[in-house]
Amino acid sequence: MTVLKSKLNMFMMSLQRKLKPYLAQKSLFFMIIPWMIFTFIFSYLPLTGWIMAFQNFRPGKGYWRSPFVGFDQFKFLFSEPGFWRSFRNTLGMSTMNLIFSFVFAIGFALLLNEVKNTYFKRTVQTISYLPHFLSWIIVCGLISSILSSSDGAFNNLLMWLGIIDRPILWLGEPKYFWWIVAFANVWKETGWNSIIYLAAMSSIDPALYEACEIDGGSRYRKMWHITLPGIRQTILVLLIMNLGWILNAGFEVQYLFGRGVVMDVSETIDIFVLKYGITLGNYSLATAAGIFKSVISIIMIVTTNYLSGKIEEERLF
Amino acid sequence: MKTLKKVMAFLMVVTMLLSIAACGSKEAQNPSVTSTPVDTGTNEPAAVEKDPETGLTPMANRTPITYHMFIRDPGQAPDPNNPVLKKITELTGVTIEFEFLVGDLNEKIGVLLASGEYPEIMFGADAKKFFDAGALVPLDDYIMKYPNLRAHYEPFLDKMRAGFDGEHAYTLENYNLERIPSPIFDNGGAGFWIQKAVIEEAGYKIPRTIDEYFQMINDYRAKHPTIDGVETIGFAILCDGWRDFCLRNPALHLLGSTNEGDVIVDKTTFKSSLYQITDTAKLYYKKLNEEFRKGTIKADTFTQTFDEYIGTIASGAVLGMFDQHWNFMQGENVLKSEGRYERTYISVPIANPGVTDAYLEAKSGTISGTGGITISTKCKDVDRLMAFYDWLLNREVQDYLQWGIEGKDWVRVGTVGKKLTDERRAIINDNNKRRDLTGDTLWQYTPKMQGLYEDGAPCGPADSEDEFFAGLSEYDQNFFSKLGIKYPAQILTVVKNPAYYPVWSFAIEDGSPARLAHAKLEDVCRKYYPQLIMSDPAKYDSLWEQFVAEVKAGKPEDYLNEVDRQIQLKMEAAAKEGN
Repeated sequence: MTVLKSKLNMFMMSLQRKLKPYLAQKSLFFMIIPWMIFTFIFSYLPLTGWIMAFQNFRPGKGYWRSPFVGFDQFKFLFSEPGFWRSFRNTLGMSTMNLIFSFVFAIGFALLLNEVKNTYFKRTVQTISYLPHFLSWIIVCGLISSILSSSDGAFNNLLMWLGIIDRPILWLGEPKYFWWIVAFANVWKETGWNSIIYLAAMSSIDPALYEACEIDGGSRYRKMWHITLPGIRQTILVLLIMNLGWILNAGFEVQYLFGRGVVMDVSETIDIFVLKYGITLGNYSLATAAGIFKSVISIIMIVTTNYLSGKIEEERLF
Repeated sequence: MKTLKKVMAFLMVVTMLLSIAACGSKEAQNPSVTSTPVDTGTNEPAAVEKDPETGLTPMANRTPITYHMFIRDPGQAPDPNNPVLKKITELTGVTIEFEFLVGDLNEKIGVLLASGEYPEIMFGADAKKFFDAGALVPLDDYIMKYPNLRAHYEPFLDKMRAGFDGEHAYTLENYNLERIPSPIFDNGGAGFWIQKAVIEEAGYKIPRTIDEYFQMINDYRAKHPTIDGVETIGFAILCDGWRDFCLRNPALHLLGSTNEGDVIVDKTTFKSSLYQITDTAKLYYKKLNEEFRKGTIKADTFTQTFDEYIGTIASGAVLGMFDQHWNFMQGENVLKSEGRYERTYISVPIANPGVTDAYLEAKSGTISGTGGITISTKCKDVDRLMAFYDWLLNREVQDYLQWGIEGKDWVRVGTVGKKLTDERRAIINDNNKRRDLTGDTLWQYTPKMQGLYEDGAPCGPADSEDEFFAGLSEYDQNFFSKLGIKYPAQILTVVKNPAYYPVWSFAIEDGSPARLAHAKLEDVCRKYYPQLIMSDPAKYDSLWEQFVAEVKAGKPEDYLNEVDRQIQLKMEAAAKEGN
C-alpha cells in the first residue's frame, strides 16, 4: 500500500515538475488563445471544403448530398493537358520572379547602402517602394500603354535607337510574356523588397567595415566580404519563405494580360482553378487542383527548411 | 489609475449611447422619407386618386419596400434622384436597387452560387444554374393571379416550363413577347459594319462578299491614310475576354446563319456542326491574314481592351469591323453627338458568294424559355413584387416610362403615332441623361411591352416609325435615299428561325463533359485565330491543320451531341404546342 502511495506521490511530483514551466507561463497561454481560435477559424476550418475534391459537388446539393467519386477528379486533373500547362507556367513564372526579385532587391539594397547622403537615400527609398502600393490593374494599364505597338514609349525608344525597324507587339508574343511578368514584378516590388535587406545591413557592426578599411579593402571588397555575408541569414529566411510560395506566380498580371494569343503561356494554376471552379462551375475539379497546389507548397517548404538547416544551421521551424 | 478607469468607463457609456441613438434615428428617419403624398401606413384603396403630374393611378399598398436586383450586363445604376424612378416609388412604394455586372458574368454567378447569397431578383443570370441550386421561386401561380402578367405570359407558359422541370415556370421572359411586331429599322446585333463614308466614296455601292468588303475598305484607306489626324484603321477585331465573338463568329454568318452561338445548325436535319473548322472559316482567316500583311489590320487589335477598342471607334478612324451593334454603340454614340454622321456605321449583307445573308431575326414571338427575370428564394415579398410588375405593365405606366409626359416629352402624330420632342430625343440619345432622367433602366429590366398595341400605337420610341424618321440626321436621310432605302435594315435579309432557336440560350449542365468540351472549343479558337491571322502565309495551311487537330482533340462531339439532344427536345415540345 505504502509502495503504491509513494509511487503515486512520485508521479504527482514529476507531473508537477513537468507542468511547472507551463503554469508559470499561463498568462502567455491565455494571450495566445484568441490567435489560435483565429487561425483555426480562418486557416483550418476552410479545409473542410477539401471534401469537395472527392465528390461531384453541386451547390444545390451541398456537402451532404453530393455523390462521392473517390479520386476521379484527381485522375481527370492529371490527365488534363491544360492543367500541366498551367503548372509549367506557374513554375516558370514564379522561378523567374523569385530570381529577379532577389537579385534586384539585394543589388538595389547594396547600392543604396553605399549612398552616404541620408536625404538622397531616403528620397530614393521612398520613391522606389511607392509602386508597391499601386494596384495591379493600374500597373498593367501603364505597362500595356508603354509596350503598345501603336505609339508605345518602349517601341518608340527602340525604333529611335535603331534596334528594331517596326514596332513589336510585346503583349501578343508568347515568348515575351514571362519576361514582361517578371519585369513588371521587379518594377513594382524591388523597392519594397529591399527594405528588409537595408534594415539587416544597418545592424552590421561598423567595426567590421573599419577593420576592412584598415586592411586596405576597397568599397567592392566591403560589399562582398562584409555586407553580403552580414545579410546572409536574412536572405536564407526569405528564400525559405518564398519557396513555399513558389506555386503562387501571381494572378492579376496573368489574368489581365492573358489574351487568347498568349493563353498557352499565361494561364497559371490560380487561373485554371478560377476557370474550372467558378466559371465552368466544376467546383470539385478546382478544389482538387487547389489541394495539389497546397501539397506541393508544403513539400517545398519542408524540404528547403531541412536543407537550409543542414547547410547553414538556419531554419525557420 | 483609477481616474483612467473612470474615463474609460465614461467613454464606453458614451459610445453605447451614441450607437443606440444612431440606430434610433435611422428608424425615425424612414417614415419621414416616405411621407410624400403617399399616406403613411394607410393601405386602404380609398386613396386611389390619379397622380396629377403623370395621370397614373397609384397602387393600393404603398408601404415602402426595396428589392435588390442583379443584372447580367455591365452598366451603371441610375441616379437615386432620377425623377421618374422617384415618381414610381412614390406611386407604388417599391424601390429597385440595381446592381450591374462588374467583370466576368460566369465568375460572378459562380461566386453567388458558392456563397448562397442570391440577389432577390436577377436578370439574365443563367437561370438553369440557380434552378439546379434550388434558388428560384416558381412563378406560374403569381402570373395567373395578376391580369396584366397573365395576358403577357400565359401564351408562353408551356415553353417557360419546358425550359426547367416541365412543371413550373421560373422566369419572366423579357424579349420577343411582341403581340404585334414593329418594323425592324436597324441591325441591333451581329454583322459586318462599314463606315458610311466608305460606301459614299464607292458611289453608294453595297458590298456583298468579303472580297468586295475589304476592297472598298482598302480603296478608301489608300486615299485617306489618316482621318481627322488619326491613322486610318482598316478593320478592327476585338479580342477582349467574352467579347471575342468579334474574332470567333464571322464564319457562322458567312455560311448564311443568324447569330446561333458556337455551332451552326442544319435547318432541315436539325444537326449541329462546327463552323469554326469549315473551309469558309479557313478562307476567312486566310483573307484576314492577307489583310494583316497589307496593314489593313493592326497587330495591337489582338491585345486591345474593350475600352481601348471603344476609344478607337469613337475616334472615327476605324473603317470596318465584325461586331454586334450594342457592343460598340457607346463609341458610335460619341460620333453621333459630335455630328460626324459619315463616320457612323451601317451593317452590310456579307456572305459567301451565292449564299443569302441572314443577319436579321424575324420578330417571331419565340422566346428562349430560359432567359429573363428570375426571383430567388431570398426575395422578401414575391407577391408584392409581382403586383408591382403587373402595375408596370399598364399601358399608361409603360407610356410614362418609355415616352414620358405628353406635350412635354412627346407629341402625337396622326391618330395613334407618336414622336419625341427634340429635348427628349436629346436626352434619350445621351446614355447618361437617359439613365438619370428617364425611366429607361426600370423599363429595360422589368416585364415590358414591346412592338405595337392592338390599335397600332407604338409601345416605345424604338417601335415608332414616326420617331425613327424624326430622329434621323440630315446626313442619314440623304444617305439612305441615295441607297434607295427607308431604313438601314432594308439591305439585310430577315430570317425566321425554327422553334428551338438559338443554341446560345441552351443551358448546359455545369461540370458536364459537354460544358468542358464547349469551353475547350472556345479556348482553342481564341488561341489559334490570332496566330493564324498573324502567321507567315507559307505556314498558314500547316498551322490550320494543327488548329483543326486541337479542336478535335477537345472532344467537341460531347458538346454537339448535347446540343442536338436539346434541339430535338425543344422541337418536339414545339410540335406538341402546334407552332
